[in-house]
Amino acid sequence: MSDSESEIKMIVAYIRPDKLSEVKQGLAEAGAPSLTVTNVSGRGSQPSTTEQWRGEEYVVDLHQKVKLECVVADTPVDDVVDAIREAANTGEPGDGKVFVIDVEDAVQIRTGKTGPEAV
Amino acid sequence: MVDVMSIADGVNTVWVLIVSFLIFFMQPGFALLEAGQVRAKNAGNVVMKNMMDWSLGVLVYFVVGAGLASVAAMLTSGQALDVGAAFAYISSPGNWVGWLFGAVFAMTAATIVSGAVAERIKFSAYVFMAIAMTAIIYPVVQGFAWSGGLLAGSGFLGQLIGTGYQDFAGATVVHMLGGVAGLVAAYMVGPRRGRFDENGNPRPIPGHSVVFAVVGTFILAFGWYGFNVGTQASVLTANVDAETLAFNGAALGRVALNTTLAMGIGAVGSTIVTTMQEGKPDPLFAANGLLAGLVAITGACVHVTWWGALAIGLIGGVQTPIVYRWVVNNLKIDDVCGVFAVHGSAGAIGTILIPVFAVAGFSATQLAMQIAGVLVIAVWTIVTTYVALSIAKGVWGLRVDEDEEELGLDRGEHGIEAYPEFVDEGVVTDGGVRTDGGEEVEE
Repeated sequence: MSDSESEIKMIVAYIRPDKLSEVKQGLAEAGAPSLTVTNVSGRGSQPSTTEQWRGEEYVVDLHQKVKLECVVADTPVDDVVDAIREAANTGEPGDGKVFVIDVEDAVQIRTGKTGPEAV
Repeated sequence: MVDVMSIADGVNTVWVLIVSFLIFFMQPGFALLEAGQVRAKNAGNVVMKNMMDWSLGVLVYFVVGAGLASVAAMLTSGQALDVGAAFAYISSPGNWVGWLFGAVFAMTAATIVSGAVAERIKFSAYVFMAIAMTAIIYPVVQGFAWSGGLLAGSGFLGQLIGTGYQDFAGATVVHMLGGVAGLVAAYMVGPRRGRFDENGNPRPIPGHSVVFAVVGTFILAFGWYGFNVGTQASVLTANVDAETLAFNGAALGRVALNTTLAMGIGAVGSTIVTTMQEGKPDPLFAANGLLAGLVAITGACVHVTWWGALAIGLIGGVQTPIVYRWVVNNLKIDDVCGVFAVHGSAGAIGTILIPVFAVAGFSATQLAMQIAGVLVIAVWTIVTTYVALSIAKGVWGLRVDEDEEELGLDRGEHGIEAYPEFVDEGVVTDGGVRTDGGEEVEE
């Protein structure tokens, strides 16, 4: 349906939960205010930690993160990625990752519009 | 003319009623304490067990338990057996406040067991155990220690040793009995899946709310004032001939002060131990230590000096994390809420130490009686718990099956979820895999 497969992009980012508010602010300023957020846990370069229950230690290697999905058509992808990086960066392992994915098509449920218009 | 007897009886009865309500209020304390220490998928089952041991227990204790306590006392003190007299309270309204006061102690003993066997015992087996506790196991010990039976000065063992057993408000009669029964039950039911790995090394199974556990602890401590201070049941003593009333302020003051000091230093003691062992102060063990300090002083509070109460409470708190570790590492028993360390060993130690710190001075005869009494109660509890749970095992089985344990007892036993909007598989404690190439970092 769409001529160019790369017209619509999905940016998927995994960030620290306490950075969500700054990232939201950054995305809004970059012109990509629409987003979906999920609580997730995952394992990356952040070191595992030990906790204890009644003096018995256990290792926690899955860390709580926020998964953020953001689909753009007109807004430059680089601006969005930069906004996320800028807002979510602490310089410590565990800041997360950003992935950019081609989106084949989009449909707006209310109007039935398709393609970049739907985004 | 003033009827001093009626005034004293009235004041004392109202006091006993109030403390009975306070002791009853320990039930929500236990419910929160135990629910907090289990995973969310078993929280509804835990509170259901707490409700049923109270609700069924009061019925059983009315029809059977309270009378059996008197029968046990008659049979072990050379009194003539009079079953009619033992059960006369059932048709005697004047005895019903006293019955309630006895009942709230019995239910406290019964409910302690549930924390030890949480997250895997069959509901039917638990209900049967609660009935056995309130019908026979606890009432017999009550009769031995408090109704003039075996351990009392008038009982066979008391006469033999030459003095009666001292356990003022039930450090052993209630708490050690519950703690020992819990340990035996936890041993017979077996550990939760995943509590020990294939080499027998313990793996922690964190509970779902330390906050619940701590709030439950405070509620228990509040109710404990009824337990200890309320056992000083005579606020006023009437002298009918002289038409005077004596106020027992000193006795009330001693139990109130000793109870408070022991709970404070119990929490401090266990916190110091966990800070030294684990590097950080542990709120759950602080809560356990507070309760262990209370348990330890429960039998002693009327008998010992205030500095003796501090010593007993400190020992009660300090031994809690140590005994808990020993139960896990050496006995390999999965006592989920640590009821043996909190109620069992703390109650035994505190009660044996009474003659050491007694206001009346040290007595070797009393010490011998204390040790003998603790042994009698412990052996009776171990044997009867074993018999009761063996019957339950034969009739229903003790454990839920593996699938149900994984699913959670809330859904398996009751068809509900305590937190239907928060489905959570909980913390994974499988050891984890390093992905960053570095050393583990303390949080």
